[in-house]
Amino acid sequence: MTHPNPTDEKPWLDIDRKPFIKIRNLTKKFGDVVAVDNISLDIYENELFSLLGGSGCGKSTLLRMLAGFEIPTSGTIEIDGQNMLAVPPHARPTNMMFQSYALFPHMNVAKNVGYGLRRDGLQKAEIDIQVSEILELVQLGGYEKRKPSQLSGGQRQRVALARALIKKPKLLLLDEPLGALDKKLREETQFELINIQETLGVTFIVVTHDQEEAMTLSTRIGVMDIGTIAQIGEPQEVYEFPRTRYVADFIGSVNLFEGRVIKDSPNKLVIESPDAGINIHVPHGVSCSPNQLLWFALRPEKFEISVAKPKNVTNLLKGTVEDIAYLGGQSVYLVRLETGRLVRTVRANRDRGAEAPITWQQDVYLTWARSAGVVLTS
Amino acid sequence: MMNWFQRRGRTIIIAIPMLWLLIFFLAPFFVVFKISFAEIARARPPFTPLFSWEESRLLISLSLENYAYLWDDTLYVKAYFSSMKIAFFSTVFALLVGYPMAYVVARSSDRWRNILLMLVVLPFWTSFLLRVYAWIGFLKGNGLINALLLKLGLINEPLIMLQTNFAVYVGIVYTYLPFMILPLYANLTKIDNTLLEAAEDLGASKFVSFMTITLPLSLPGIIAGSTLVFIPAIGEFVIPALLGGPDTLMIGKVLWTEFFNNRDWPVASAVATAMLVLLVLPIMWMRRAAEEEVS
Repeated sequence: MTHPNPTDEKPWLDIDRKPFIKIRNLTKKFGDVVAVDNISLDIYENELFSLLGGSGCGKSTLLRMLAGFEIPTSGTIEIDGQNMLAVPPHARPTNMMFQSYALFPHMNVAKNVGYGLRRDGLQKAEIDIQVSEILELVQLGGYEKRKPSQLSGGQRQRVALARALIKKPKLLLLDEPLGALDKKLREETQFELINIQETLGVTFIVVTHDQEEAMTLSTRIGVMDIGTIAQIGEPQEVYEFPRTRYVADFIGSVNLFEGRVIKDSPNKLVIESPDAGINIHVPHGVSCSPNQLLWFALRPEKFEISVAKPKNVTNLLKGTVEDIAYLGGQSVYLVRLETGRLVRTVRANRDRGAEAPITWQQDVYLTWARSAGVVLTS
Repeated sequence: MMNWFQRRGRTIIIAIPMLWLLIFFLAPFFVVFKISFAEIARARPPFTPLFSWEESRLLISLSLENYAYLWDDTLYVKAYFSSMKIAFFSTVFALLVGYPMAYVVARSSDRWRNILLMLVVLPFWTSFLLRVYAWIGFLKGNGLINALLLKLGLINEPLIMLQTNFAVYVGIVYTYLPFMILPLYANLTKIDNTLLEAAEDLGASKFVSFMTITLPLSLPGIIAGSTLVFIPAIGEFVIPALLGGPDTLMIGKVLWTEFFNNRDWPVASAVATAMLVLLVLPIMWMRRAAEEEVS
């Protein structure tokens, strides 16, 4: 068995690969408000790309420009080598799944799903075959005659997906596809969505505000912040190597320690952090100006929390447990440092109540591996 | 006490309008219904009593002659059909004019929407009679429209518009247009814009998305507006009396003539009763159509 070429699975690593969607200097203004601010972005064939950000970050506007519902103020969009600017929504090789699903209330499931094929002027028999095929794919066989009002939320979501997929678009745009489902159903549907995407080989762009959803679904994530893309990367990359405080904070939770560089060499960086009350040692340089203000970001699960003072560690914090949240699989400890800073740590509950329990108001020590954190300059 | 009120609350609230309708609609209607079975008489009121005492026995004299007369004299049947025809085409014209107007109002920005809605309702602030008279000024031989057309050289002699069925159509469509626009507007604003975007996204042009999404979803509004125009139009008296000609035959006008000119109250009552029956049937049909649309 041969190993697949890594650039087949990750086309964005291959500089010779032609992007499927090419967005260049795209800007959209609504009056004085800049919703999308000079974004350039490449998306490759068969990707499941997520646009992640809070409300008002411009992710939906970007999606609507791809669908053709909003006309860019400036910049270009190319899909499969074709410039899209002059192409109206009904002529684009894209289909969209709307956040509200936008199912036609006066049509039954089969009519809804077949709507796009009827617009293409297909024969009724052919439409019927394709409709029942796609309904099988989304596990809604036998629901043809139901009206949308007679379906559950999860079933409506599937109808919307089937309707958007039936024309076999080159690009499927999904606006908060799982937003209206409850947690359990959302998790199940996430994996189904990935399976369908892999089966059909359609390129997906998903807009979401849910970072967990983005992490599970995506080949790559574009984290958006007030009209710009703050970082693009694979889920792991964005989580472990965030480039800015915004990204670090938006994806998962993070402890940020502000400090100044007191030593910077290629393999050693020391940050004096009044926030943490210690000098933080990092095993690599950042090549920045001396005395520069920067931030050391550490995820809660990177901490080692212990009651006994650990020996031979460079980075050691001391504090008191202020609050404990038991989440079942893990527990969150909020530890107040001597500097007054509150730190969030997470520990997996490996044994059933066996470990020496850490309780409220107990003095604890926090350490971390030297390479566990990220140094951020902005 | 509180409990009693809670249980009876619904009944009490419904009872007030029910009582109102009973006193001011149903009771007078029964009077009219009663008179329609009497015979014309030189008396005051000008009809024979239905109930009389003769030799201490109650005598009820019901006459179906009035209804037979309605059927025998072709005037009445003709007037019914003519009213139906005029009301029907007025409704169609009002729909054709009103739908685009309601559509534009529903699609305009918030600021414009309020202005446009006010303009739709504005004519109601003037007397209805005055507005119909104003149309005489527009439509008459030396009126504004003829003057304009003559000046532009489009016609050589004035068009005869006043005292024709054309003038009646103009009057009815003009008067009842807001009743068409308002329910349609209320319906069209409720249609979710993302449905149209979804249709367009799936390959429908603007026209096709209108025909397949907006139009079917606005059917309840079309039915409501058409009902509100058709029903008052069928019994309309003022507009055909002022704008129509001698050959404009409408049941409202016939009713007036019977009642005031001929002083034949029994026949007038029979006309009114028959008209009500003929009105109730189309309403029931339209309501059923609307209910089917909803379910």
